[in-house]
Amino acid sequence: MSETVVEADGLGAAYGGPPALSGVSFSLEPGQTLCVLGPNGGGKTTLFRVLAGDLEAQTGTARVDGRPAHLPQAERPRLDFPVSAFDVALMGSLAHGRWWLPPRGHERAAARRALKRVGLEASEHDRFGSLSGGQRQRVLLARALVQDARVLLLDEPLAGVDPASAERITALFAELRAEGRAVLVSTHDVDSARGFDRVLCLNRRQVAFGTPAETLGSDVLEATYGAEIVMLDDGRRAVTVQHHAPGEFHPPAAGRAAPGAPPDHR
Amino acid sequence: MIDFLDALLDPLRSGLGRRALGEVALLGALGGGLSFWVTSYRLSYAAESLAHGLLPGAVVAALVGVPVAAGAGAGVLLAALLVAAAARDERIGVEAATAVAVSGLLGLGALLALAPASPQRLEELLFGDPLSVTGADLALAGAAVVAAGAALTALHRPLAAVAFDREGARAAGLQPALVSAALLALVALSLAVAVRGLGNLLALAVLVGPAVAVRGHVRTPAGAVIGGAVVAVVAGLAGVALSFALSVATGASVALALCAAAVAGASLPALRPQRPRARPAAPAG
Amino acid sequence: MRSFCIGKRLSRTILNYAPPLAAAPPSPLELVDLAFTRSALAELVLLAVAGGLLSGWIVLRRLAFFTHAAGTATFPGLVVAEAAGASPRLAALAVAGGYAGAVGHRPRRTGEGGDTTVALLLVVALAAGVVLAGDVFSSGAGVDSLLFGTLIGVEGGDLVVSSVVAALAVAATVLLGPVWAAAGFDPEAAQAAGVPVRRADLCLLALIAATVVAALPAVGALLVTSLLVVPAAAARLLCDRLSPLLAGAVAFALVQGVAGLYLALWLDVPPGPAVAAVGGLVFAAVACVHRPGRAA
Repeated sequence: MSETVVEADGLGAAYGGPPALSGVSFSLEPGQTLCVLGPNGGGKTTLFRVLAGDLEAQTGTARVDGRPAHLPQAERPRLDFPVSAFDVALMGSLAHGRWWLPPRGHERAAARRALKRVGLEASEHDRFGSLSGGQRQRVLLARALVQDARVLLLDEPLAGVDPASAERITALFAELRAEGRAVLVSTHDVDSARGFDRVLCLNRRQVAFGTPAETLGSDVLEATYGAEIVMLDDGRRAVTVQHHAPGEFHPPAAGRAAPGAPPDHR
Repeated sequence: MIDFLDALLDPLRSGLGRRALGEVALLGALGGGLSFWVTSYRLSYAAESLAHGLLPGAVVAALVGVPVAAGAGAGVLLAALLVAAAARDERIGVEAATAVAVSGLLGLGALLALAPASPQRLEELLFGDPLSVTGADLALAGAAVVAAGAALTALHRPLAAVAFDREGARAAGLQPALVSAALLALVALSLAVAVRGLGNLLALAVLVGPAVAVRGHVRTPAGAVIGGAVVAVVAGLAGVALSFALSVATGASVALALCAAAVAGASLPALRPQRPRARPAAPAG
Repeated sequence: MRSFCIGKRLSRTILNYAPPLAAAPPSPLELVDLAFTRSALAELVLLAVAGGLLSGWIVLRRLAFFTHAAGTATFPGLVVAEAAGASPRLAALAVAGGYAGAVGHRPRRTGEGGDTTVALLLVVALAAGVVLAGDVFSSGAGVDSLLFGTLIGVEGGDLVVSSVVAALAVAATVLLGPVWAAAGFDPEAAQAAGVPVRRADLCLLALIAATVVAALPAVGALLVTSLLVVPAAAARLLCDRLSPLLAGAVAFALVQGVAGLYLALWLDVPPGPAVAAVGGLVFAAVACVHRPGRAA
């Protein structure tokens, strides 16, 4: 039995009211990637917050090896703070203890290397707040790389990101996997889930966990997304629909894309 | 004009003038260095309330005859505890709870100070009196600067990481609550020292003004901390000089000089050109 | 050795204070016997009505900092008026009213940037007032009376102003109370329903400014919150509905005003600090007796 770096068993969590998440059980080994699928409010961010230690689990247990690197969904870091991309990447080295000392040579080299890996070595000294959304995501990824965590929790890392950044970030997943890290990525792009080792479907509770072949069937997807899923190509492809005015959405006729409903296919 | 310029140098000519300059310089280094963190951690309102609320502690210290800084420090602690206690009930809200604690404490302090039995020293506690600074006060301020400087140096990276991204810092293994607590302790220390030079009503000038002055002109947190200290020291010394030349209250002069520096710094266009914006993502990323 | 010295000094200090306290406290009748105490009492009663009513709205609508800032900002205006021989009341009204107008026309809660700016402006106001006062007043007593109020010198004009403000507070509470409550609870829904939220809020801010100006002679520029925030904060711990809250706030304000005046007479201190200290005690007493509750 090989070691697991992430393990959840009957995990549940809430924000003071009804559970936002319940019955989550899965495990992940080093070098495995996990795609977390689910609708808005389905618990993806909640799960990541519990795994990162931000939120206490209400029921069940969660175990993560070491300190995971956490890329949040919302734009949390302050844009007016006077730090450069290099400074942000360097913050990852705080995870290695000895925070009272100034950064050492090898830590600075690691930050430089990380920025190169995400393709931002030219923007090293640019102020963080002056970078584009996609570039900021990449800098935060560089910070996660410097942190050298065995487990990475990336909450919708490709949301609102320009195509060049998205390509770079996706290529990075494969590199991290090859390095033996566990990468958990939440996304709305059902199609991309097929490229991951495992898939976890959440809709406030765990709907399915397994390989893409096991989980990406129409019944599982409908249980996960409800009326938000649109199947194309005789069920071989699926897109999710993100709607922002709940009263206005009309479910599509079976098998055909809904007219006028914008597909969210990145 | 020559007379005026000559009068600006008056503080250097007397012992009490030199001590005033020393006290204000030390206070500037301490408060100015902290001011970047005070504004980054959104502590302006809390600092103002703690400054107002420490009055009873300072008054009691002055009456009993112990160094005012010690009483002021205890006063800050008491104020913090009372604000926290008052804010426990969510129905009132932090703002109103703070107002309750501060008005009660300010009233108590004024009550003690204005009672006929008390020597008339309230003005000095409210608005500062750098001209009556003793060697002991200077030694205390010096020790505070050294201690705070060491603390700020050691805590520099955690302070920056937590200010930039609190949860990200926690994920990296830091403890944001402890970092915030350490910062509050340093604020309390600087308020305790500031009562002598600026008085508790004007102390906020040195804890907030310098950060506003350097914002937009510095590129790193370290630059903001050092720049804030430098601006505070220069403005403070100028304030003392002007108070001598114009024969006005010294503490208020220093406070106005610090605020003027803040306005000037905020109005000037960025002194150091920022690097050109990142080029749009090239095809290779 | 050192603690022994401090002990000696502490006991000497207490002995200094003992005589006024040990002396027989004045008879409560003195509050109405002497002319100047009668005026002060009437003033504080009127202010308790106005302040108590408004404190309810100030606590509910989260305007405590605005009130404190409005009071503090009038200080330099008062000093300038003294120097120029102009009416301090008008100067204070100009400052407080101007501040209310500025706040009313901008979105509130601009966050840290806004907090920092207002905090610095208050420092400038206080420092400028002190610098100007150095020219105007020969001793510190003048500044003390502006910052903390004064027992003597409550004139007929002050009573007229306070009566008018009290009447306005009652009328406004009756007429605009429902609008203020709706705006506090859910401003977007109220505005969508056609309720004149903006104008009603401007009225509230203006009324607060007027009450602050009325309270200045009695409690001083630094302690207006003792009558304009503390009473409702204490009442809020006990009352969950609006009418009892307002009534309770007025009741607490009356207690504070009268007891504070009595204390000020006894200890020979300005009324502002006495009222504020009593207010703090009242709040603490209520808070101890009542278990902390969740937001209603």
